[in-house]
Amino acid sequence: MIRRDIPAWLFWVLAIGGIVVLLTSYELVSARQTRINALQTTIPSFEKLGEGLKQIFRPQGQPENPKPAMFWVDMRATLWRLGLGMAMGVAMSIVVGVLMGAYRWIEAPLSAVVMFLSKIPPTAMMPIYFAVVGTDQKMFTSMVALGIFFSMTQSIYQAVRQDVSDEAINKAYTLGASEFEIIYEVIWKQILPKIIDSIRLQIGPAMVFLLAAEMVVGNAGLGYQIRMQSRILNMSVVYVYLFILAMVGLLAEWSLATLRRKLCPWFVD
Amino acid sequence: MKPPPAVHYALEVQSLSQTYGNHAVLDNINLQVLPGQIVALVGPSGCGKSTLLKAILGTHKPTSGEVRTDGIPVRGPNRNVGIVYQQYSLYDFLTAEQNVSFGLKLDETTFLTRFFTPRKYIAKRREHNRRAKEFLYQVGLESACGKYPGEMSGGMRQRVAVAQAFIMRPKVVLLDEPFGALDEAMREDLQMMLLRFYQENLIAKREGRMPQYTILMVTHELNEAIYVADRVIGLSRFHTQGEKGAAIVYDRPCPVFSPDDPRDFSKFVEQREELRKAVFDDTYIKDRDKYVTFWKELSSLAKDVSNQRVS
Ligand SMILES: Nc1ncnc2c1ncn2[C@@H]1O[C@H](COP(=O)(O)OP(=O)(O)OP(=O)(O)O)[C@@H](O)[C@H]1O
Ligand SMILES: [Mg+2]
Repeated sequence: MIRRDIPAWLFWVLAIGGIVVLLTSYELVSARQTRINALQTTIPSFEKLGEGLKQIFRPQGQPENPKPAMFWVDMRATLWRLGLGMAMGVAMSIVVGVLMGAYRWIEAPLSAVVMFLSKIPPTAMMPIYFAVVGTDQKMFTSMVALGIFFSMTQSIYQAVRQDVSDEAINKAYTLGASEFEIIYEVIWKQILPKIIDSIRLQIGPAMVFLLAAEMVVGNAGLGYQIRMQSRILNMSVVYVYLFILAMVGLLAEWSLATLRRKLCPWFVD
Repeated sequence: MKPPPAVHYALEVQSLSQTYGNHAVLDNINLQVLPGQIVALVGPSGCGKSTLLKAILGTHKPTSGEVRTDGIPVRGPNRNVGIVYQQYSLYDFLTAEQNVSFGLKLDETTFLTRFFTPRKYIAKRREHNRRAKEFLYQVGLESACGKYPGEMSGGMRQRVAVAQAFIMRPKVVLLDEPFGALDEAMREDLQMMLLRFYQENLIAKREGRMPQYTILMVTHELNEAIYVADRVIGLSRFHTQGEKGAAIVYDRPCPVFSPDDPRDFSKFVEQREELRKAVFDDTYIKDRDKYVTFWKELSSLAKDVSNQRVS
């Protein structure tokens, strides 16, 4: 029967079972592949994956002049680009989205433009970034920032229009609020959970833009490394990197959900 | 009979008309409300009650006419006129206590003082919260204090919203069907709250103070209108110049109940039927001033009182 509840213990057994099945079947496929070709690296066994893990943490360069391990170099590059780009994109879209929702004369010229530009897939705009901004650090950050800017502005503007009623604003006037106070004390407070949620939803797309760009023009970063390693068929590193990407995504999601719970205890979705 | 001109009014609406395109909604509305009055506004659906409240609030400029609160023309929503809506009556992100003290914060501090004199600001906030709590206790809402609107019942939310409006001591508070979405028990709680405010007004008048609670309330329940208010106004198009828009076709005092009196609606059946006929009966077209007798009745009442004193 649809939606019929199952006992909690059964749920957990099945949840863990799913993971176990995934891991065992992976190992079985890997073993089979190795039987066909003892030197295969496309589906490495867990043992090989362990070696990959070791490899990415091994310091590079000569022993007398060690350089940081591959993982740290790539992680730093990617997280820095992602963080800076997202911070800029989020900040700009909050300002523009809130102002669009608050003032008709800002909304009027911008709403159609934002709506239109938010529909262009940012990855398709990559060549334009390469041509206009170049291929350095600035390109990655501006690409992430602009990549999330339009759709995030759109969703913040929608949130202001939908979640902040005229009544709430009129009442704030009757309680003696100034325009600035209405923006900060009413609009911002009301849509804060929506903002946190839309940041959470933008992490995925931002990663997509960034990794795609790194694969094309990077010289460091998770995307760059995944491409380099897969080119030499060193899949044990590639899979470990994919796993790490999943963990980064989960961690970001979890911390934003926690942040929202802490900052907006009133909000229930 | 014109209202006495020299009196100090909490609210004055003067020759107010509203048309939308060629649809005449309100025609030449004149209304004076004394401080401490609880005025109920009734009328058929779509006759322009909310439109009138919007004009008084100042969110919607009328086609012609003027609104004054405490003698000052209304140019936009401001802290002289409080409002309680049927929905969206509280800020979701604030607890009851914070909702009630929200106006004090907005009114008595600015963003700059919050930022640059944090010590003073914190002390002020503490004082605001104390006042908010005190007010909530006074109206029997101590259990609501720490709750968010999402955790309160509809009736509780409306009562907190009334407190939120009144703590600012506005000249008049507008209630637009505040009971609309409530069940019977919750309506009663809210009615009691308003009746208690009225008692406080009477005490204030007796002691020579300015009564604090002046209310203009839209309701679709005629019993409720007569029970809670001391004056009932009816707005409708069913008068001889109805094509020009709805006018005030009924304006009379009504019996005042104390919160301890039994809720006996049968006491005012006569007035209720008169009100129904004058305002809601579309076959009964009369001169618009026929039932607009509030000020005449008030002055004859005052005369009676002074005559009694003489004799
Ligand atoms: N912005 C507007 N533009 C055009 N017509 C309007 C506008 N606002 C209200 N009206 C019209 O004015 C009339 C009065 O509306 P209003 O909401 O004031 O009625 P009401 O008495 O509050 O009704 P209800 O009892 O249903 O709340 C209605 O016929 C409505 O269609
Ligand atoms: Mg209405």
